[in-house]
Amino acid sequence: MTITQEQRTRTSVHGNPWLPSLHGTGLVMRIELLRRRPSTKGYIAYGLTFLAIIGLGVLVAVLAGSDKTSIPLELVLVLVLGVGFLIGPSLSATSINGDSGEGVLAPLQMTRLTAGDLALGKLLASWAVSIAALVTTTPFLIYAYGRSGWTLTELLLVLAVILFLVLMATAIGLAWSAIAARAVASVSLAHLTSGALILGSLLLFAFTAPLVSEEVTVIHVQRDSENVTDEQWNDPDFDYEALPCVEVEVPYQIMHSDRTAWLLLINPAVVIAEVSPIVNPETFEKDGRAAPGIFALIHSEVSGARLGPEEPQVYDECAGYFGDEDAWQKRNMEKALMPPAPWLGLGLAAVLLVGSVVIVIRRLRVPYKTLRAGSRVA
Amino acid sequence: MTESTLAPPRTYAISAVGVARSFGDVQAVSDATLSVRPGTVTALIGPNGCGKTTLMLMLAGLLRPHAGTISVAGQDPTNDAAAVRDAIGWMPDQLGSWDNLTCLQTLTLMGRAYRLTSAHARERGIALLGMVHLSEFADRPTRVLSRGQKQRLSLARALMNDPQVLLLDEPANGLDPRSRVELRQLVRELAAEGRTVLVSSHVLSELDEMVDDAIFMSKGRTLGDEAASMVADAKLKYRVEALDDGILREALASLAVPFEEADAGVVLRIADTAQAARTLAALVSAGVEVHRFGPVGSALEQTYMAMNEERR
Repeated sequence: MTITQEQRTRTSVHGNPWLPSLHGTGLVMRIELLRRRPSTKGYIAYGLTFLAIIGLGVLVAVLAGSDKTSIPLELVLVLVLGVGFLIGPSLSATSINGDSGEGVLAPLQMTRLTAGDLALGKLLASWAVSIAALVTTTPFLIYAYGRSGWTLTELLLVLAVILFLVLMATAIGLAWSAIAARAVASVSLAHLTSGALILGSLLLFAFTAPLVSEEVTVIHVQRDSENVTDEQWNDPDFDYEALPCVEVEVPYQIMHSDRTAWLLLINPAVVIAEVSPIVNPETFEKDGRAAPGIFALIHSEVSGARLGPEEPQVYDECAGYFGDEDAWQKRNMEKALMPPAPWLGLGLAAVLLVGSVVIVIRRLRVPYKTLRAGSRVA
Repeated sequence: MTESTLAPPRTYAISAVGVARSFGDVQAVSDATLSVRPGTVTALIGPNGCGKTTLMLMLAGLLRPHAGTISVAGQDPTNDAAAVRDAIGWMPDQLGSWDNLTCLQTLTLMGRAYRLTSAHARERGIALLGMVHLSEFADRPTRVLSRGQKQRLSLARALMNDPQVLLLDEPANGLDPRSRVELRQLVRELAAEGRTVLVSSHVLSELDEMVDDAIFMSKGRTLGDEAASMVADAKLKYRVEALDDGILREALASLAVPFEEADAGVVLRIADTAQAARTLAALVSAGVEVHRFGPVGSALEQTYMAMNEERR
């Protein structure tokens, strides 16, 4: 029972190729998806989730008013990001060390599949499962989109960015699974990495605040009322306006948040807020949009951090100047309308994605130079 | 090590010279040299932890040796891994299968991984399942298979790419007696088709009838000529028992046949069946009441035991 040349689409191979091919990546993805095919119980669980989401959608539709609001849509999008960040890395983080432990990795490495085929196939399979969460939210997403005041292009752009960020998180999980010998370690490390990006960046921003804060002094001009006695104050003829004008130094705490704002910009939740549409808080009704929602608020706060400290308010009592009354209003407008800055976060995500895939391919190439500590080849 | 600079000759299907590999400070294989002729079955024998599996992994191109040269099917698995993988069927010692997938799916997908066409991978999968007697399980998930059945599926998987060289790591583990006999026949058939088989096993009595050559390993080293001569010597040994051992010894002394004392009776060295028949006839005609006359037993097992004696 031998294989003839016609039956085998065999080309002579030499060296030790690692580049992924379409056929190989597709095959590995197919194997992974077949292995993860849900059981009957799994389908029931998915069905129940689907029904619960439809129920939630109906409930919100009945209870909510008729005004446009982008908040339900933003909630769904955050949900999709959150679920993707939980499921994707959980699946990928056991994909390599788990297979190796079960003894099903090495037989594939012994075939014509390259390290690149295995890495990309496993990555895309875990990613595909995690974005199934997006599919279950579709009914609610459609409803929420209907009243959000977003255009379809805006929605698709944000969805694409979410899928890209989930792909990155999944790739990081896969890299940990190629590095750590035990599944417990790689799953924890994968979630710690996602946590560091989502919560760690915010905490770091908060904790570095004292480092970028400084005390400045502003000089106010005011009447020198220090030596005025109580007796004088009670004297109806006392002329306050006649007091001499003096300059007073007042200490003032400012935070140069513009120096640490990049910590906010690498946060995946901030990245999706930054790619979501800009809402003008004054003209949104005329623009056909809903009132600024969560993403607009995030964009506004992040822009505030990027802008850095406000000009200290100086007042001159003698000149009758008590600061720019419109300053707060102007600042708010400036924050809300500031051009979005998603590129830092997207760039970092791309670097992490490519870096993770490179690590995975290097760790999957055989013959192994080194093994994961405490593991066997299989 | 001067040996390692010599290129292995091309006439062998598998050859290794001075191969070494360590994991951290554990020297798994310190000096392995072997050569396997095409179309033969060779056993790799040694106690647990002597480096058999590590050596097999290096031959399969899964592990990079730290020293020495390897050639499998005319290629170096370190530098030309893809070509070697294409020519090799590897059956690992660890049993692993995709729980959710059926036996036929498993083989078909492996065939696809070897770039067989879909139709052909399926056809070959069906044929191989028949060969390892798993046809009735073709559409059942692999998780229902018993240990021995998984072992047979693993063998079928190793044959999916029609390999010229087969590396079988403990293939008889967990097989029932009937499956062992079938495995033995199958391995002989594969060799008869011109394939080269390197098989490691603990079940030495099985190997005796299966293999053409044996390579013994101990503490990360292959034992070359000394082990070979021990096997050759063990193959000559015949045990003779008579009702009265005293008469037997006298008769042997008078016939000038050298013998060794054994726990029961004596052990002779006999080159072939003709000499065995002549010796038996001579003993009987000398009036010795022989009640047992036959080969001592597994030559490989004797050598293995003798080797372990030395180790103690």
